[in-house]
Amino acid sequence: MPYRKILTFTVLFTLAQAASAQDSWGDDEWESDWGTEQDQGIDVYGYVEAAIGGRLEPSPYHKRLSIAEPRLQLGFDERWQDITWTAKADGWYDGFDETWHGQIRELNAQFTVFDNTDIKVGRQVLTWGTGDYLFLNDLFPKDWQSFFVGRDQEYLKAPSDALRVTSYFDWFNVDFVWTPEFDHDNYVRGERISYFNPLTGQLTGNDPSIQFIEPTRDELAMRLFRNYDGVEYAVYGYDGFTKSPEAVTENFQPTFGRLTVVGASVRMTFGPGLVNTEVANYNRHDAADHWRALVGYEQELWTRFTGGFQAYIEKGDTQTRTVFTTRLTWRDERDDLNLSLFAFVSPNQNDGYLRPTFDYRIDDNWSFSGGFNLFFRERPNTFFGQFTENNNAYLRVRYAF
Amino acid sequence: MKTLLLTALSAAVLFISGQAIGTEKSAREIVEQAELNAYYSGDDGRSAARMIITDSQGREQMRQFTILRKDQEDGGVQDMMVFFSRPADVRDTVFRVVKQVNDDDDRWLYLPDLDLVKRISAGDKRTSFVGSHFFYEDVSGRNTELDSYELVSENKDSYVLKGTAKDPGNVEFSYYEVVIDKEHMLPVESTFYNDSGEAYRKMEVLKIETVQGYPTVTHSRISDLTNGGQTEMQFRFMTYNIGLPDSIFSERSLRNPPAEWLQLRD
Repeated sequence: MPYRKILTFTVLFTLAQAASAQDSWGDDEWESDWGTEQDQGIDVYGYVEAAIGGRLEPSPYHKRLSIAEPRLQLGFDERWQDITWTAKADGWYDGFDETWHGQIRELNAQFTVFDNTDIKVGRQVLTWGTGDYLFLNDLFPKDWQSFFVGRDQEYLKAPSDALRVTSYFDWFNVDFVWTPEFDHDNYVRGERISYFNPLTGQLTGNDPSIQFIEPTRDELAMRLFRNYDGVEYAVYGYDGFTKSPEAVTENFQPTFGRLTVVGASVRMTFGPGLVNTEVANYNRHDAADHWRALVGYEQELWTRFTGGFQAYIEKGDTQTRTVFTTRLTWRDERDDLNLSLFAFVSPNQNDGYLRPTFDYRIDDNWSFSGGFNLFFRERPNTFFGQFTENNNAYLRVRYAF
Repeated sequence: MKTLLLTALSAAVLFISGQAIGTEKSAREIVEQAELNAYYSGDDGRSAARMIITDSQGREQMRQFTILRKDQEDGGVQDMMVFFSRPADVRDTVFRVVKQVNDDDDRWLYLPDLDLVKRISAGDKRTSFVGSHFFYEDVSGRNTELDSYELVSENKDSYVLKGTAKDPGNVEFSYYEVVIDKEHMLPVESTFYNDSGEAYRKMEVLKIETVQGYPTVTHSRISDLTNGGQTEMQFRFMTYNIGLPDSIFSERSLRNPPAEWLQLRD
C-alpha cells in the first residue's frame, strides 16, 4: 500500500515537472515570454501536493489518520472571442477512505454585455460578505470537512453550478446568482469527522443508517453594493435552504429547512485599522427565526504583525450563541514565512476552536504549510465542542507550476 | 544721460541676477519635481513589470505583473491596480490601491481561488512588496511631505540631496542620500543609512527611456548591502495617456480584469 502511494505521488510529480517545463523562463529571463499577444499559448498551471495528518488522540469513532492525500490540480484560462474560459480540476487519492477522487472546481465562461454587465456561467466559486471565517450573508456552499482536516484554505469554498450576473450602475451595483440545483455545504456528517447528533443525543461517527434528505429546488442570492469614498455598503438577500441539515422530515430523517435571509454590511477604514459590521435575519419558515450580527476590527499592531477581532451573535427567541474571534498574523521580512493563529471562542457555550497555521514559501515552486485544528468544550453538544474528538495536526508540501 | 543709462543697465543686471538667485531650485522643489516625473507622468499609464529577486545565497525568484494607474491630480490622489501573472501561487491575484496623500491608502486584494475581495488594513509601507527587496513605498512613491531635504552637493549633471524623516520613529533609516539626474529630473540613486551611519540599502536606476516624451525608469535595482541579495525590476510596454476610465478602478476589475487595457503590445 505505501508503495502505491509513493508511486502515485511520483507520477503526479513527474507530470507537474513536465507541465512546468513549458513554463521555463529561458536563459535570458528578461527577454522571454511576457505574455504578449504574439506569445500567448495555452498555459496550464496548477500544483501537486502531498498532505499528511493525524488525530492528536485516538478517537472511538475513527482511525488515527485524518488526512493522507497526494493531489494534483490543473487549471487553465483562455480568452477567446471576448469570453474568458476557465477550467480547474483536482484529482487526488484519499488515504482516509482509500479511494480516488476527482472534482471540477471551475468550468465557466465569463463575458460582458451592454458594457455594464458581467456574466459568469458554469461551475464557479462564489464569495461575498465581510466576516472572517464567519458567514452571515454568504450562503454559497462551504466545505467544512476540508477546513477541519487541514486542506488548503481554498477548499473551504465549494464550487457552485450557477449563473452570476453583475451589473454596474452609477449609484449602486447589483449581483445576482441563480443556482438551479441547491448546493449544500460539505457539512460534517460522521464519515470523516465525528459530530453530535441531536436526534440520538450522542456523538456519532460514520452511521450509514442516517439518510440526509436533500431538496431538489433552486437557490437565489442577491447583493446590492457600492463603494462610496472608501466605505463599502452592501445589502443582501437569499432564498433557498439551510446549508446543513438542521430540520427533520416526518420520518425523522435530517433534512434542509427552507431559509430566507435578508442582511446588510458596511466596511470602512476606522482610525489606523478597518472596521466591518454585518447583520442578517434568518427566516427559517418551518422553525423559529433568528438574527445574526457581527462587528469586526483589524489593525496592523506592529510592522508585519496584524491583529483582527470579531464579536458575533446569533439570537433567536429561545437560543443565543455568542462567538469572539481573533486572528493574529505575522510574516517575516522576506514575506516567505507566515504564522497565523485564528481562535474562535464562545463564552456562552463554553467551547472554541483554535487554528494555528504556518506557511513557508521556499521558492516560486515549493512551499510547506502546516497547522493544528484544536476544538475544546465543556459539553459535547455545542457548536465547536462536538468536534473535540477530531483534534488534529497536518503538514502539506506543494510544488506549484 | 550716459550715467543714467549705465545705472539703469547695472540695475537691470542686478535685477536679473537677483532673479537668477531666486530661480535656483530649493531642495524641496527638486524633490517634488522628481516625484512628479517618477510617479505622475501623464494623466494615466499602463506598464508591465518583471522582478528578479536574488536572495543572499544567490537563489532566484520571479514576479510578473501589469500595472494600471490613473492620477486624480498631479502629486495627489492616485488609483492603481496591479494584476499578477507569475509565479503560479499569485497568478490572477489583483491588488487595488487608492493612494491618498494625507491619509492611509485604501487597499484591496482579490484572491481568485476563494473569489474573495479582501480589504487590507493600513500597514507599514516600508515592508517588502510581494517578497522582493522593493518596499510598497518604492513602488507607489514615498510622500515627500514626510521628509525634510537639504541640498548636499550639485554638479553639472546632478543634485545630491539628503532626506531625513520628520518622524524618525516611523522609518528604519536614519537618513538617505538621493542623486537626482538633471537631464531627466529623476532620482537615479538612493542610499539609506542606519543610525551608525552605515549604508545598508541602495536603489540604483540602470536604464531610463523616453516614452511619449516622458523620461521613464525601465530598469532599476535595490540591493541589501548588509546581507547581500537584490531585486532587479524591469518595465516593458509602457504607455501614457491612454484614457483609462475611472470605472476600471473598482471591484469589477478585480473579478473581471479589463482585458482590453491589459493587452501587451508595443
